[in-house]
Amino acid sequence: MNVLIVEDEKALTNELEIFLSNSNYVCDICFDGTSASEKIATNLYDFILIDLGLPDYDGLDLLKEAKKYNPEAACIILTARAEVNDRIKGLDLGADDYLPKPFSLLELQSRMQAIMRRKFGLKHSVVMLGDFVIDLTNRTISHNNIPIGTITKKEFDLVAYMLLHKNRTLTRSQLSEHIWGSIVNDDYDSNYIDAHIKNIRKKLNIYSQPDWLETVRGLGYRININH
Amino acid sequence: MKLGTKLTLFNTISKVVIVVLFVLLLPTLIRDINQSYTDNWLRHQKDKVLKIVSGPGINNYIQNGEGYGSYNALLKEEYVSLDIDSLNENIDTIINENRLVERDTIQYRILSHNFRVGKQNYILEIGKSIDTINETTTPLQNIALEILLGMILLTILADQVYSTYVLRPLGLIIKTKLIGHKFPNHTPYKKVKTSTTDFEYLDISIHKMIQTIENTFQKEREFISNASHELMTPISILQSKIENMFEEEDISDETKVRLIEMQKILNRLKSITKTLLLISQIENEQFLKEDNISLSELIHEVYEEISIRLQEKEISCEMDIPSEWILNHVNKFLLFNLFFNLINNAIKYNKEQGEIKITGHTDNKFFLIVVADTGIGINADRIPHIFNRFKKFTQSLQQDSFGLGLPIVKSIADFHKIRIEVASEPGIGTTFKLFFPANLIVNQP
Repeated sequence: MNVLIVEDEKALTNELEIFLSNSNYVCDICFDGTSASEKIATNLYDFILIDLGLPDYDGLDLLKEAKKYNPEAACIILTARAEVNDRIKGLDLGADDYLPKPFSLLELQSRMQAIMRRKFGLKHSVVMLGDFVIDLTNRTISHNNIPIGTITKKEFDLVAYMLLHKNRTLTRSQLSEHIWGSIVNDDYDSNYIDAHIKNIRKKLNIYSQPDWLETVRGLGYRININH
Repeated sequence: MKLGTKLTLFNTISKVVIVVLFVLLLPTLIRDINQSYTDNWLRHQKDKVLKIVSGPGINNYIQNGEGYGSYNALLKEEYVSLDIDSLNENIDTIINENRLVERDTIQYRILSHNFRVGKQNYILEIGKSIDTINETTTPLQNIALEILLGMILLTILADQVYSTYVLRPLGLIIKTKLIGHKFPNHTPYKKVKTSTTDFEYLDISIHKMIQTIENTFQKEREFISNASHELMTPISILQSKIENMFEEEDISDETKVRLIEMQKILNRLKSITKTLLLISQIENEQFLKEDNISLSELIHEVYEEISIRLQEKEISCEMDIPSEWILNHVNKFLLFNLFFNLINNAIKYNKEQGEIKITGHTDNKFFLIVVADTGIGINADRIPHIFNRFKKFTQSLQQDSFGLGLPIVKSIADFHKIRIEVASEPGIGTTFKLFFPANLIVNQP
């Protein structure tokens, strides 16, 4: 997967590159719009991450160019300007997603994977976890082909997010940002993730032990899949 | 008391005082006028008599040393007498004196005048009864009183009408420029129509003052908006760095725990910045109001997000919102956050196994949503400050909040013109009442 990162903040670009390279993406980076414009016109990418606040270029113009020369690429807008209008404009111009800064790298990756699933039309993505079957399309967890009805939407979201980042410890902050990130409220340190995990374990335990769901002491939670 | 009423009252009192004084002085005035009139009349009569006497000769009137006398027979209102004067001095006076006329003692205004014809001194007296002089006083006084009272009434009425007319711009300035002013205001300045320069001056002064306030507000909002925007990028960099470091293989668990601490602190910074940005965006009216959603569905969505928190404290939540209430022309994202923060607050300050009730009622022109909890309550003196930013009260049971929950609620409510009333009893609980204007909710059975 080829990714073009257009971001004038070098420190951020650097981190994006490290993270995406570790996740096996091939990264190309630009710190300004002019060079990005050239690269977009000559190379083909699977993903283009565009920062709207470029010093020399209107990010939205870059988006138009990307749609023209790189029609197959999925464009994700990254911006510190979280105005509603920008978002609407960006999506109208054909951006596949819009991620306001500050964002979690895990969130970026999950959005990229969601776009991939959409693009390649993965009809059914099903994952076996111990005795359980996680159906990411229909959003169910089943045991012996019987969906467990007690699992709530939030609980499924948590399992799916951990599954997406399998074999990686996710901190409580990362998990709560994923499931409550869009809500603006004044709790900054919520340990409600623990309560959710406790509930998930309790509900699954009725059928079988979910020993794939690990509590990493002092750090967070992870789903282990050994292949 | 209103200025118009004050002016009219002052006018009325001053007029009444002047009129009463005038009416009281009237008898004296009339007497003086009458007296000078009578005196003139007496002198005139004297001249006439002397003219008459000088014609035929004095002896025609005084025969055998007997004086001449004449008066109207019945009423004895006037009299004229001519006699030989025994005294040698000059007399020319007008005085009040009693005279005995046919056994009646009557008070007269008498002109006495002596003159000489040949070697003889004569004295002439002309009198007019005092009663006759005074009998006009009372009717005159009454007429004057009636006319003046009538005039006072008329002028009061005129004053009232005029002062109402002339003071109307003042009321208009207060109503449109002060009470009716909303911040931020995007409508252009409209002059209040008046020909009174004082009011023009007041109008323009208020306008200038409001502009100053408006500018200051605008600057503050811009500052908050810019500051939060500018903070987003550095926060983003830090967050990415921490996340990447966390993944590095040669990092000990001890360091990872410290990275998590950093992540938590960064989250706090992020929450504060995001909240401030949201409030400034609401205040700058950067949100659209184009969503139509069922209110009970919205509350249920909030409930789903928040149920884990209810569960943690074993709080029961009762909801009774008419399912046919549809929110109209609102911003769903904002209203979601309003209810989330309000209910979150009700949980945060509630006791274990407490209760929360969310109910919907109709109240006159309003749709009323009540969120009541059985929490620690708020002291009455603190209620006015609960919507202030960063106002945290020591009674807060949980420390992991920064006092922006209710300010979010307030700015979203203001943006939708929803009025909030708060009632609370310490130790018993707090009730938030949200008054939705009728145009925000459609009752769709």
